[in-house]
Amino acid sequence: MNETLAVQPNPLLALAVFAVVVLVAAILAWPGRGVLARLAAMRRLTERVRLEDALKHLFGGQSSGHPGSTESLAGALGISGGRTVEVVRRLARMNLARLQDNHIVLTDAGREYALRIVRTHRLWERYLADRTGVTPEQWHSEAERAEHGLSEEQVEGLAARMGYPLYDPHGDPIPTSAGVLPPERGNALTVARPGSLVQVVHIEDEPEEVFQAIRSAGVDLGSRIRVIAIGPARVELAVEGREFSLDHLTARNLTVEPLDHDDDEADIERLDILRPGEEAEVVRVSGAVQGAQRRRLLDLGVVPGTVIKAELASASGDPVAYRIRGAMIALRSHQARDILVRRAQREAA
Amino acid sequence: MITPAPSAGCHGCGSREESLIQLGVTPGKWDHLVALAGNPNTGKSTVFNALTGLRQHTGNWPGKTVTRAEGSFRHQDTAFKVVDLPGTYSLQAGSTDEEVARDFILFGQPDVTVIVVDATRLERNLNLTLQILEITDRAVVVLNLMDEARRHGIGVDPKALERELGVPVVPAAARQGTGIPELRDAILAVATGNASPDPLRIAEYPPEVEEAIARVVPAIEAAYPTLPNPRWVALRLLNADERVLQAVRSGELAALTPVGAVVPAGAILETAGPGAGHEDPVEALLEAVVDARWRLAPDFHDQLTAAHYAQAERITAAVQVTGLRRARVDFDRQLDRLVTNRWTGVPVMILLLALVFWLTIAGSNVPSSMLGVLLVDQLHPLLQGFGAAVGMPWWLNGFLFDGMYLATAWVVAVMLPPMAIFFPLFTLLEDFGYLPRVAFNMDRMFQRVGAHGKQALTMCMGFGCNAAGVVATRVIDSPRERLVAIITNNFSLCNGRWPTQILIASIFLGTLVPAHLAGFVAAGAVVGIALLGVFFMFLVSWMLTRTALKGEATTFSLELPPYRPPRLLQTLYTSLIDRTLIVLRRAVIFAIPAGAVIWLISNIQVADLSVAAHLVGWMNPVGLLLGLNGVILLAYVVAIPANEIVIPTILMLTVLVGGLVGVGPGDGVMFELDNPGAIGEMLRTAGWTTLTGVNLMLFSLLHNPCSTTIYTIYKETGSARWTTVASLLPVVLGVVVCFLVAQVWRLLAAM
Repeated sequence: MNETLAVQPNPLLALAVFAVVVLVAAILAWPGRGVLARLAAMRRLTERVRLEDALKHLFGGQSSGHPGSTESLAGALGISGGRTVEVVRRLARMNLARLQDNHIVLTDAGREYALRIVRTHRLWERYLADRTGVTPEQWHSEAERAEHGLSEEQVEGLAARMGYPLYDPHGDPIPTSAGVLPPERGNALTVARPGSLVQVVHIEDEPEEVFQAIRSAGVDLGSRIRVIAIGPARVELAVEGREFSLDHLTARNLTVEPLDHDDDEADIERLDILRPGEEAEVVRVSGAVQGAQRRRLLDLGVVPGTVIKAELASASGDPVAYRIRGAMIALRSHQARDILVRRAQREAA
Repeated sequence: MITPAPSAGCHGCGSREESLIQLGVTPGKWDHLVALAGNPNTGKSTVFNALTGLRQHTGNWPGKTVTRAEGSFRHQDTAFKVVDLPGTYSLQAGSTDEEVARDFILFGQPDVTVIVVDATRLERNLNLTLQILEITDRAVVVLNLMDEARRHGIGVDPKALERELGVPVVPAAARQGTGIPELRDAILAVATGNASPDPLRIAEYPPEVEEAIARVVPAIEAAYPTLPNPRWVALRLLNADERVLQAVRSGELAALTPVGAVVPAGAILETAGPGAGHEDPVEALLEAVVDARWRLAPDFHDQLTAAHYAQAERITAAVQVTGLRRARVDFDRQLDRLVTNRWTGVPVMILLLALVFWLTIAGSNVPSSMLGVLLVDQLHPLLQGFGAAVGMPWWLNGFLFDGMYLATAWVVAVMLPPMAIFFPLFTLLEDFGYLPRVAFNMDRMFQRVGAHGKQALTMCMGFGCNAAGVVATRVIDSPRERLVAIITNNFSLCNGRWPTQILIASIFLGTLVPAHLAGFVAAGAVVGIALLGVFFMFLVSWMLTRTALKGEATTFSLELPPYRPPRLLQTLYTSLIDRTLIVLRRAVIFAIPAGAVIWLISNIQVADLSVAAHLVGWMNPVGLLLGLNGVILLAYVVAIPANEIVIPTILMLTVLVGGLVGVGPGDGVMFELDNPGAIGEMLRTAGWTTLTGVNLMLFSLLHNPCSTTIYTIYKETGSARWTTVASLLPVVLGVVVCFLVAQVWRLLAAM
């Protein structure tokens, strides 16, 4: 038992060995960027994934009236022309697509297959939005991965557990298991009538940068936008009294429907600006809040018309306790920010 | 709609019994089944206790009852079985609790559903009440907390509420026991059919919703003509409720005909038969649902909830009187200002918690040593003597009394007194309603690391016992935050580890300074270790929410209940029964085998050395590299069941391996010396240095949870994966930290 420090390795050497071990472990296992993560990502890029991505691309083109070609397919898949031809040949052999005057057209079987992938993708996005804490920016890329790995039974089980959702969190309809895809609603924001009030029904999630730009402008699914003017380069808009502009490329990624009523939303505020003692009436819960979080807020009584009073700030200032339907509920500032309110018109009284 | 319904021999009872067993109700002899539902923190558990006489743990914060409790009572020669459902805000949000409650009310078909309503928050409670009344006719509403409402200047007219809701309403103050006899009468009346409820149902939803309902109802009526409430089923189907859809497909829905209702013979057969048309009516129904759902607005669910609240608001306005003269003039508000104020909030909190810990540590010293004297010094020799007297062979005597008994005795002596003081004190604060305010104040810090403010409380509870802390995470109703709290609870230095810390700190650190400073330095070191634990708790929470737990869902909300005067006696009783004894029982169960293993490895000889000595020899190089030694590592391996026996085991192993003569009572017999000086001398002789002491303190903080806690984590998470993470993560941290400290220490020492 009486070993002395003499039998111990040199501390510096021990620390050096430790540092090397940590470094190697980090290089191997760093989430997302480590060797293991990269290997897994490479393994996923199999032939099947390529075929399914090709089907999805062709389907997307077909439903928007731009049938795919070998060139567009090569661009979408990010592979060389030669390999694209190979992919197209395989699709044809499997009777999923055929060449028709320079366009690649899906067969019925191909369309069905594509719809199934679209269904899986959108269901998975719905699942991520409702049941997990995965951030909106990651929904799409996560679903891109999941759509190739789930079996049909898993997808049906997921749909059942999710209550057969109709729309994905971006507002895209989810094809039914029978392959029925209802027509998409609304028009691009760029063709909206200047001066009108429109509601966002769909936000395109690709490319991610544009999606982020839309979100950081404070526009969510269900947001109401006043179209001020549509200029040659930019679209002038107002949301909740806040004016801003988007370039056409970004604005095209927003699908909107005109609203039949024309309530002015200029006086709308967010709940988090209330100071203790002030009160306001709920207009609605922002579309940015989905799934379990949204339902919890609704169940607590945060529904249109509810009067909420800020009662008490905590010792650190956040969260703030609000009087909601008789109960004191503490909400964090980022939650309160997602509740749209309107202050009572005191002057009128 | 409802006819008198004796449960015995009724229509569809066979299927009901089956579904009850599926729902987890233990079969037994009872005449009527009563379900207890309500919002969280409405005093549901108190009503349950008052009805059944059971002492279930109650507390003044939302989310107490997570698992279901069952009890029973007799009233006028009728036996009732009561099932306490989890408290929920709604039946349609789809969380596990809500599914449990909904499935039970719908498919368990209780004879009576008692809805506990908080009179101080009538609107929100009516939201749930209206949802339940849409499912069942046989309900009784308990208007609980009438006394509290009165204190807050709120009056509710029970008769008017009864007229509005169409079901019996019983005003009550369950904490005082008032209203309970009337509740029993009302339950009996509804169960036997002497009361004929005619519950209020929302007749008109927004036009769009009504249109969808109108599309689906005829299809439901075609498929299930006897269904009592096709509108509700239509709404559930429009909400794509999988459980109801399943019931439609399997035909289970037909069994939901109100118990005893007269079913025209062959009615179901007729409609299902070919006479109803060429198409299967169930298929037609499912198609109608899909068709109607596509036409609905995406904010359908928002509209439904808004409709419920509109109704709740109307009823509340009709039955509630506010602004009565208050008995307690804004006491709550002033107290809240004090305890959540920017300047006073945190000091008040620290003072209160420090008081709880001081009372625990100071108060448990004397009873702990008394128990030690009784169980170890007196009873142990007696048992050994008894074994010898009845002619036990030495190995059986040693195995039973030196091994199994002694380990258990240590655990009880060290663990019982602090827990018996800590838990009641904590429960008093909980009962009063102060703890949610702590969560409120602390939330910002926890929010930064992705955790829930209530984790501050489960962390404090962990200082008493990690297993109890893990159970306490039930109050965190957001799945991701709850997992974080469970995994990091072990970083709270628990009662079982305080004695090790205090002893080692006074032996190895207190002696470094002049005698008059020794106590101060030792105490400071222990507090430092506890704070280091808090630091690791934050660090690990932060790491987890950014990596492994990134994808877990989060639903933050924190309700601040009104303050309630704590009830001393009941608190003492329930916290002793619920927390202290249950934790103690589990600890004892795990200590017995540990004692056996320790005795066996010390006494089984292989090649002239005990197994323990071999193990220590193997572990020694690793131990020394970490600034510890083989004895400490082995002690931590065999003491997985209970941290309390680490020091006695270390002492025993040191004597055994070091071949010291004349110290300690023998191989495999744990012991503790009375005099810290003597222990220090012995350990130093065995090669311990200040570094060994410091690293033992660190390792005592950062190592795997005890087996009781591991078992509790598994039960609470139901996941082997998270249990593994929670068990291994702290050991890895402990090894790394000890290793780094040892190397740096040696570098500095060499300079």
